[in-house]
Amino acid sequence: MSAPLTSQQQKAVAGFWPWFLQRVSGFLLIFLVGVHIWMTHFSGLGDVVRGHQEELVLFEIVKQRLAQGLFIFIDFSLLALVLYHGLNGMRNILLEWGPAARHAAGMTAGLWLLGIGTFIYGAWALLAFIL
Amino acid sequence: MAFSFRTLSLHAGNFQDRYSGTRSGWWAWFLQRLTGVALVGYLFLHIAVISTARAGADTFDTVLIILQKPFFVVLDLFLIAAVLYHALNGVRVLLFDAGIAIKRQALLFWICMLLTIVITGVAGYFSLPLIFRG
Repeated sequence: MSAPLTSQQQKAVAGFWPWFLQRVSGFLLIFLVGVHIWMTHFSGLGDVVRGHQEELVLFEIVKQRLAQGLFIFIDFSLLALVLYHGLNGMRNILLEWGPAARHAAGMTAGLWLLGIGTFIYGAWALLAFIL
Repeated sequence: MAFSFRTLSLHAGNFQDRYSGTRSGWWAWFLQRLTGVALVGYLFLHIAVISTARAGADTFDTVLIILQKPFFVVLDLFLIAAVLYHALNGVRVLLFDAGIAIKRQALLFWICMLLTIVITGVAGYFSLPLIFRG
């Protein structure tokens, strides 16, 4: 029987900065994901229920929202932070698996490449609503 | 690497907490990983769906109308539950990092579970018109 890692052990395995940034990004994501889910799922719910609006999410609705600088900032921050948090979390899990842990540097580089590539792809997708 | 394979595979077993005498700490940890991996999977699907906007507004709307049918609204509730648990347990972990309430970890785990169920229930209640619309 073994215990989940203590805070000290996590820092030792992941490295201080990945450990610290996982907490900072997680904390920020509580608010960003909260706003994101509220805006996409609940703010327009009344209009859909009353029949004033066909669906909660359609191209024109997203386009109007992304015409505001605040939502451009929120969506791009969300994309970057959620990719960092998600892939850093995967790294934490993989570091406990021998074959990945033995090639930690290569794995970390691979995850960064995947993250940056996905950010560019996601940003390109978002720009369809903005430009 | 300062850690060998043996010390790195620490989570093979179910672990009993010395303060509460329960396995809630292990379950909290396990559910954090389960929801985390599920949310990463969802994230890539989510980005793929949004990228259909590049094929034009009509393509995006066609896909999004399907994804707002009752079946997917119900799936969204599972997504909300996963996000809520992951966020609430994340706050629980942050408290422990600050040295707060470590001995009350089991109680905090049950508070996370309760809040996840209650808030998902409220979200589900307000989503009922979307699930049962004709």
